[in-house]
Amino acid sequence: MRREVPGPIHLTSRSRTPGAPPPPQAGATRAQVPQESNRLSNGLKELLWNLDGLERGTLLDMGPASQTTLSFFIERGFRVSSEDILRSWKNFLNEEEARLKQGFASGETLEMTPSARAARFMKENLQYPRSSFDAVLLWDLLDYLEQAVVKQVVASLTELLRPSGVVFAMFHTKKPEGFQRYRVVDSTALQVVPTAVICPAQRVYQNREIQDLFGRYRTMKSFIGRDQLRETLFIK
Amino acid sequence: MWKKEDAKSPAVAENSSAASAFGKSQSFDSSNSFSDSPRAAASIGQGIRIKGEVSGTEDLFVDGFVEGKLNLAADCSLTIGPNGIIKADLVAREIIVRGKVEGKVVARDKLQIGSTGEINGEVQTGRLAIEDGATLRGKVEAGRMETAKTAPAYAGSSAAKTSPQPSSLKAGTAAD
Repeated sequence: MRREVPGPIHLTSRSRTPGAPPPPQAGATRAQVPQESNRLSNGLKELLWNLDGLERGTLLDMGPASQTTLSFFIERGFRVSSEDILRSWKNFLNEEEARLKQGFASGETLEMTPSARAARFMKENLQYPRSSFDAVLLWDLLDYLEQAVVKQVVASLTELLRPSGVVFAMFHTKKPEGFQRYRVVDSTALQVVPTAVICPAQRVYQNREIQDLFGRYRTMKSFIGRDQLRETLFIK
Repeated sequence: MWKKEDAKSPAVAENSSAASAFGKSQSFDSSNSFSDSPRAAASIGQGIRIKGEVSGTEDLFVDGFVEGKLNLAADCSLTIGPNGIIKADLVAREIIVRGKVEGKVVARDKLQIGSTGEINGEVQTGRLAIEDGATLRGKVEAGRMETAKTAPAYAGSSAAKTSPQPSSLKAGTAAD
């Protein structure tokens, strides 16, 4: 008759949830890997309520291309355009650096004021005809862009939106420590996906500054969450 | 007219199945996706550069540079490898992108964009699967794509009818 021999006590003394990751080994760093999580989104609900009744809406997603977000809107009859503006900004900065080095070597000058740089960036991005979109998912990207770029992006979006079009934006009420992306899970919730930092957070916008930025919009509606994130809808 | 609680349209079911079929749980096969194919795939290797029009009637794997146009027959698959750089409009039944593509992509059946894949251009496809980390910049049209079919010619009837294309698949800019 076989008898089960108990394992070493250090392996059996602590109960573990099935499927939970193994405990860290001695000497291992305790770096916590941020987990994906869902958050209820009143802003999303309000956005969808505003888009209700559109037969063939057009939407611009300015975050990274996400299967769930694209599918969510395509399934509801939207024509979706995707443009990861923050990734484009990062790539643009790298190209600018290379151009600067080349220009320095060849003696050419490149105007490096923030507004000139922003203008060069906008020449290559958000190039759509006027009044192309019924809705824009701007996420929290304005917090990560230089202020000169922010002004031009908002001005450009205002041109791209149709009358009564809606911008869904988010603003951190405190400077964010990490960096996260968002996906639409369903009509009431967003999935928050912590990712590697693409660009560091530039600033925290106060309510008055946000109102000034979107001064050409007729309505602004904000929802403040417990996670230091303010969701705001701007209706043109 | 879309209502929040409306039942899903047939295109929805199509897309839902696509999402589940190529969802996160089933990650892309990192090996050549044609390994199970009964036909051997033709290949354009990493060191090869082609400028002009490429067309064919068999599956194709591209890991090199192609500039111009790439058009495969209705039942053929096209895979862009991680080293592939394409500056061309692509047409095939199924397209898998793990490299860089600049141009219009028309995948009649499905389009898969791997985590290393980058598409800069308009996309038209029956079903779409995007892996985390993929880059997509452009307009996306996803839904059933019907190819033109020739109806059998009956006596007294018009000879051939072209099945109508859904409005969602009309080419154009984001503004149309």
